[in-house]
Amino acid sequence: MNYLTHQELAAWLDRLAQEHTLIAPLDIAGNILYRPVSDTKEVVWDFVRSFMSVKEVFFPPTERLMLMEKIGQQVTLTETLPEGNSIIFGVRPCDARGLLTFDALFIENEPVDPYYARRRENTTLIGLACQSVGASCFCTNVGGAPDDPTGMDIMLTASNGGYVAEIITEKGEKISKKYPVFDGLSEIRPHPTHARKRELKVPPKEVWPARFNDDFWAEMAERCLSCRICAYVCPSCRCFDVRDEVLPGEDGRNQSERIRCWDSCNGIPYRRVAGGHNPRFMKNQRLRNRFFCKFYYFPIHYGPVSCTGCGRCIDACPVNVDITEVLGYVGRRK
Amino acid sequence: MTDKMKTNPMLPYLGKLVEVKDIATEIKLFRVEMLNGGGEAFHDYKPGQFAFVSAFGVGEAPFGIANIPTNGDATLDFAINRLGSVTTDLHELGVGDMVGVRGPMGNGFPMDKFKGKNLIVIGGGIGGAPLRPVIQTVIANRADYGHFQILWAARNPSLLVFTDEYDNWRATPDTELHLTVDQADNTWNHDVGLITQLIERVAPSPENAITITCGPPIMIHFVNRVLVEKLGFMPEQNYVTLEARMHCGIGKCGRCNLGTKLICVDGPVFTMAEVGALLESFL
Repeated sequence: MNYLTHQELAAWLDRLAQEHTLIAPLDIAGNILYRPVSDTKEVVWDFVRSFMSVKEVFFPPTERLMLMEKIGQQVTLTETLPEGNSIIFGVRPCDARGLLTFDALFIENEPVDPYYARRRENTTLIGLACQSVGASCFCTNVGGAPDDPTGMDIMLTASNGGYVAEIITEKGEKISKKYPVFDGLSEIRPHPTHARKRELKVPPKEVWPARFNDDFWAEMAERCLSCRICAYVCPSCRCFDVRDEVLPGEDGRNQSERIRCWDSCNGIPYRRVAGGHNPRFMKNQRLRNRFFCKFYYFPIHYGPVSCTGCGRCIDACPVNVDITEVLGYVGRRK
Repeated sequence: MTDKMKTNPMLPYLGKLVEVKDIATEIKLFRVEMLNGGGEAFHDYKPGQFAFVSAFGVGEAPFGIANIPTNGDATLDFAINRLGSVTTDLHELGVGDMVGVRGPMGNGFPMDKFKGKNLIVIGGGIGGAPLRPVIQTVIANRADYGHFQILWAARNPSLLVFTDEYDNWRATPDTELHLTVDQADNTWNHDVGLITQLIERVAPSPENAITITCGPPIMIHFVNRVLVEKLGFMPEQNYVTLEARMHCGIGKCGRCNLGTKLICVDGPVFTMAEVGALLESFL
């Protein structure tokens, strides 16, 4: 078993930051966000949950897909795949599960998305088990746990003032074996933290279709502002838009970029088609789609439930649309 | 990198415009010659499949491919109505200009399954574009299919598509072409009224027949209703091709779902029985 004191772990992070791009939770104007670290003293160790998930690192809010240049009638296209390796420190179990939903969508469901797949291949995850459970957290209800190492390359769990380190994958071994504090791949699971378990069951996908036409969605949607913050903070929402932006010309060059950016099915124009028809014009139809996607459509198409129980949407919603309330309703109704 | 990652599904092939012509008000037909590997990708696409066309610097949008492959020659036709930013920019392009093309995508019409059947093709406005490959397939393989009826509609005569091909369609053995417009002008000597009225007047028999419809959602809904309620068709006999705004075409972006179906990979072609069984309405 690998046991590290806080000082040993901090020293190791320093080494990692010198040799690699290290991304870790930082306090940015009062919000915990995963950002590249220049000084490891700024890393926040003690936090419940970051404001945004590590999704941003693998599937950025806006990313360039290609560059285009027009010269006369000719066009040249340059593929812009992401470069470089990075290590993320302090990944929470719910966010690692979020990445597993993205793996199912972008890698296991062909064709493979090379942008996501490259970042995933070139990034090592150092997990940090939660020591406390937030008021809106419900990971244990969707199959996760505050100390769940699933999807991590290395898992750290605080214990007796230091950290138990599990080295889970070859990627994890690669970044740890050069350092004498580790003694190889561990097989011992650290002791679990005590998870508070809510009385909430995620309804299996079979029960969802019968709830489709319920008035509940309209009642819930009366509050909804279609602001889409729920999708923005979600570690597993994946809808995206693709569009071109013209780049400032240098020497009269006609260059543009194709970008992919996050989108949300709660937006009014999301489902609008040419000619103006919109089959999801009503707010309740859009709100319903988001929950049906997470627990019914996404599992049918790609396998996993598209929710990690992180509770970010509950905290972020300005009008208290609560995903656990939705799950409670769908599971309860006969 | 693994083998699967070698091709980037978001990267378009280049295509050169070899012909651009006005075919109706605000509708142009673009003939695209595929370059740099696109010819290989498009050598045997099926009627009813679609592709994303890029106006570089503005964006890309999905369009039904409006022709069938001829002798393995990958030249694609797109009939495009000027409506939004991408289509407006495409309308500015001329012969020799480059566009991007990603595809072919979607399931297409099961033309083999239609063999031996009487076919009724029902097109509304620009909805005629993805039906043209069906018409071309029947004309090119006339003996494979039964009686052939084309019911073609538009809001007014200037919006009818492929008018210069009507004589050829009419000259095909055992083939009827019926036209209707909502609003006629003084030169019009065909039906006036909605496509549903034309269907009732022509009254195709459901016996050994398949209908194939493309048009706005509201038209698809009422066409199916007339066929089922007035003429005795089963929803299983009524094929439609649906549209949705989409951004990937490969089952990832989430945009085009209709209940549990993704229009881009499960469609765009469905029977009305399948559409009727979906949780969510396309209307």
